[in-house]
Amino acid sequence: MGVRRKAMNWAETIVESLKKWNTSLIAYVPDISIHQVTSLIDNDPYFHLVSATREEEAIGIAAGAYAVGRNAAVFMQSSGFGNSINAIASMCIPYRMPIPMFINLRGGPGEFNIAQVPMGRSTRPILDLLGLVHFTLDDDYKMDKIVDGAMKLCYANRQPVAICLTQLLHGGKLA
Amino acid sequence: MLRFEATQMILRHAGDRPIVANLGPTTDELWHAGHRDRNFYTYGNMGLCSSLALGMALSTPEKVVSLDGDGSLLMNLGAIASIGREQPKNLVVIVWDNQQWGQTGHQPSHTACGTDLEQVARSCSISHTATVRDLETLEQVFCQALEEDGPWFIVAKIEEAGYMPVSPIEPEMTLYRFRNSFLKK
Repeated sequence: MGVRRKAMNWAETIVESLKKWNTSLIAYVPDISIHQVTSLIDNDPYFHLVSATREEEAIGIAAGAYAVGRNAAVFMQSSGFGNSINAIASMCIPYRMPIPMFINLRGGPGEFNIAQVPMGRSTRPILDLLGLVHFTLDDDYKMDKIVDGAMKLCYANRQPVAICLTQLLHGGKLA
Repeated sequence: MLRFEATQMILRHAGDRPIVANLGPTTDELWHAGHRDRNFYTYGNMGLCSSLALGMALSTPEKVVSLDGDGSLLMNLGAIASIGREQPKNLVVIVWDNQQWGQTGHQPSHTACGTDLEQVARSCSISHTATVRDLETLEQVFCQALEEDGPWFIVAKIEEAGYMPVSPIEPEMTLYRFRNSFLKK
């Protein structure tokens, strides 16, 4: 009798894709809504999870890893994306550094905090202004293909790619 | 101690080890002191020199040297806390401390007004630290840092003798040369 594989949840899907693309250093600033995925990473010896004090620092640490030949990604919240813009604009883009950025996108349906709306709503327009590719995941439909394709595009194009994870996907903190 | 002489000394001892340089005169002087594939020059990302070096140190067994600056590091003091948390044995941070924002008009920086970066590093659990004021002492401490486990954090009080011509601003070439030197091994 064949064993049916249990479908992966969104967090496991991201971890699988990171491994497929040999992306083993993860720099992050903690966020409760994507804690599910960063805790999987933290408990998996394949990865080195590095805590940064601020998101631009996380970009710097990931960039350093890439510079010596190790693929690296960052995890943060949309407010933290605001903290990291100059690192992306003045470093990742001109050097052509492919850094996958997983961003918990605030300010959408279910947002409870007025202070999270402006940066959450402007994250994707800012990515557009920088000329960076981004994908938004509201549910796990075709998620494995989208995350995998985003990683492939990131390394082919040698520029950061953003994968925006919304509350509708991760069911994170609502109030 | 002149920063350029100190940079030449660092290069004499560094061998083939990777060196990351803070933006502006530190990058220019490293280029003029001796351009090599393993120099990682920076151009715009103020504050991230030692964060880059931390990411490198966590991803290669080789000893990584960061040539940071007081003004830049003050912009990202959290970098020191992250180095203290990760404790990379193969990281040597040197802070060229001229106690001013040189390029923006020589305004005094916080290290001219009471901030002691060596004490900040010690408070962040970095135990191998020094503050040096002459080239001979810097050479001694740097050679020890290359031989002994770190992380190391060395504040070098320096002066600058005018600015050298701007080095080629080629970030994509910097990354290509630098990264390839690791992939080939």
